[in-house]
Amino acid sequence: MGNRKIPAKLLKQEVIVFIVVIALLGFFCVASPDFRKYTTILTIMDYSYYIVLMAIGVSFPLITGGVDLSIGTGLVCYSLAGGYLIVHKGWPTGAAMVVSLLFGIIIGLINGILIGVMGLPPFLATLCTCMITRGLGSICSNNFGISWPTTGQPGSWFRSIFKLTIGDTKIPLGFVWVLLLAILMHFVLNHTKIGRYTIAIGSNKEAAILSGINVKFYHIMAYVISGFFAALASIAYSAVFATVLPGTGAGFELEAIGGAIIGGVSATGGAGSIIGTLIGVFVICLLKTGLPFIGLQANWQQIVTGVVLIGSVMVDIIKKRKESRK
Amino acid sequence: MKKKVLSTILSAAMVATLLVGCGGQAASTTTSEPAPAKTEEAAAPAASTETTEAGGELNFKIVVKSFQSSYWQAAVTGVNQAAEELGVKVECNGPNAESDIADQVNMLTNYINGSPDGIGLAACDQSACLDALQMAKDAGIPVVCFDSGCPDAPEGSVLSTIATDNYGAGATAADNLYAALKDSIASASAPVRIGEVNQESTSESITQRGLGFIDRFTELATADGKKVAVVGNEFYVNGAKDKGDEASADIIIEVAVPAQTTVELCATEASAIMNKSDVLGIFGSNQVAAEGILSANENLGKLGTEAGTTILAAGFDAGTVIKQAIKDGKMFGAVTQSPLAMGKTTVQTLYKIANGETVSDIATDGYWYDNSNMDAADIAPNLYD
Repeated sequence: MGNRKIPAKLLKQEVIVFIVVIALLGFFCVASPDFRKYTTILTIMDYSYYIVLMAIGVSFPLITGGVDLSIGTGLVCYSLAGGYLIVHKGWPTGAAMVVSLLFGIIIGLINGILIGVMGLPPFLATLCTCMITRGLGSICSNNFGISWPTTGQPGSWFRSIFKLTIGDTKIPLGFVWVLLLAILMHFVLNHTKIGRYTIAIGSNKEAAILSGINVKFYHIMAYVISGFFAALASIAYSAVFATVLPGTGAGFELEAIGGAIIGGVSATGGAGSIIGTLIGVFVICLLKTGLPFIGLQANWQQIVTGVVLIGSVMVDIIKKRKESRK
Repeated sequence: MKKKVLSTILSAAMVATLLVGCGGQAASTTTSEPAPAKTEEAAAPAASTETTEAGGELNFKIVVKSFQSSYWQAAVTGVNQAAEELGVKVECNGPNAESDIADQVNMLTNYINGSPDGIGLAACDQSACLDALQMAKDAGIPVVCFDSGCPDAPEGSVLSTIATDNYGAGATAADNLYAALKDSIASASAPVRIGEVNQESTSESITQRGLGFIDRFTELATADGKKVAVVGNEFYVNGAKDKGDEASADIIIEVAVPAQTTVELCATEASAIMNKSDVLGIFGSNQVAAEGILSANENLGKLGTEAGTTILAAGFDAGTVIKQAIKDGKMFGAVTQSPLAMGKTTVQTLYKIANGETVSDIATDGYWYDNSNMDAADIAPNLYD
């Protein structure tokens, strides 16, 4: 009842989540004096890029009513493949990055064909590619950790894409790129065929088929976008962290999917916002970076993140229920 | 409608996995089944050494903790060298990550079922392998533990343990870090903080290093009349000889353990500690933890070699990233072990057992290295890439 008085705009998930981000920032700033530093912003930014990129990509399968579980292990796999070419084969960084991106697109394509054409359930199909990429990553790197060129080494220019150092000041340049990409993909989702049909598949696949949409093609495209962004995320990850370890990556996808759902992508498909996803990921990143500052042990950090996720899924379900009552 | 209900349940299940606090692990148990098979294929050409010698009928199996760090690469190289010298057949395998404890037990059990002439084991978890070790004993297969021991192993199952004195190696890091920080600690007017990042609290090697560092640092500081308190991860706080009282302490040792053994989670924990203004030094107890500290420093830029004005970081093991950081003066120094010799000795010991010789435990040392002695003849061979 009281809700009617609040303007509808303020009830949009993006706005609510943005307020949550500000509230979290405020909370951590008050709770920990060490948090109130420029370097903390740098750290949060660093750790957010790869999750944001994965989340932008995975929003598309989520909106079709599916999911992509292969992005986490995929990220590590693409990064190991690219890194191996640089470190052991002497490839220039740029060429290795292209290989990583192609690798991501191919895995996305395989996911898309399995789901869109062969009709496998998305959960199952991407769980399989998740296993496959995990194994492939270990094979690509011959089972050993790979360090992309570190600052100062030749070929380390790609690290400046995400963090520019001018004099003694470090600028989190990566945020500009992820923001631009989020705006671009927000536009793609809402104003292009690919995006509109992605939403159409998620809200009513039968109707989409009957209205003559090439559902197979657009279903595949949703997973290709997801794979491509997982590959972009792999470059961001390699640029921020010293070493990429084979066998890791499982669990990254849950942070990305969690961020997307917090940001208003419907857990059942058919609706979502990429700008919301961007903001939603920052809730996860703030929790991940902030909770250690207030002295919370690692296992508790995961519990808090899980509870926050349940909360945002509940908001989604309650909203749906209200809409159906109207 | 049905579909929506199903997908709601699925996403709820996903959220539930996160809630239980094991998002990663849950995924890894489901994904790991086919993965080890692939790992084996990948590792086999590099790891197993076939021999042509007639006497080379002996067949040993080695289970390492993972292939995550170059430390294990060096150990596997040592294993292969010894296998070639002795003319025996050796196969190496290990789980994807050092936290995949169940996978490792599985591999060990499979090897036991194949009745080899001996097994070399670097256990991820000191208690998870106990049942398997009993099996090996019942099947009459000798086991040699290396890198990490299994102190509670059934009597007679583990014939020899070849490991760095990890407690001593942790203490070596404390010795060197304390010596460098002594003056700053003595002149400090307010309590100071020493950080420690351990990748987990389950394996013997990591926990012993962590505790060795804490206990020696406490001992040295107490001898100089300072009060020390240990805070943070419960395992290490409760394991420390003297956990002290935080309110009245002059030195606070803060211990952090991430939820999973990944560089990025170690980095998050490290930056939370390094952001505090009273930190003088920090210790990372293996390659992953030390690299986590260096990753955190990318933004903070607080590490250096000037006691008092910068944070002095002590690492563990080697690898290109750590070696470069020590050369550049970002990391103060590190303790290295000799994985190559450890791998070699493991195979040699298994060979001795197969030939009926009696063997005993072998402790190998940890060596401190920094910018000044990196190229020394007794240090350089242990600094693998």
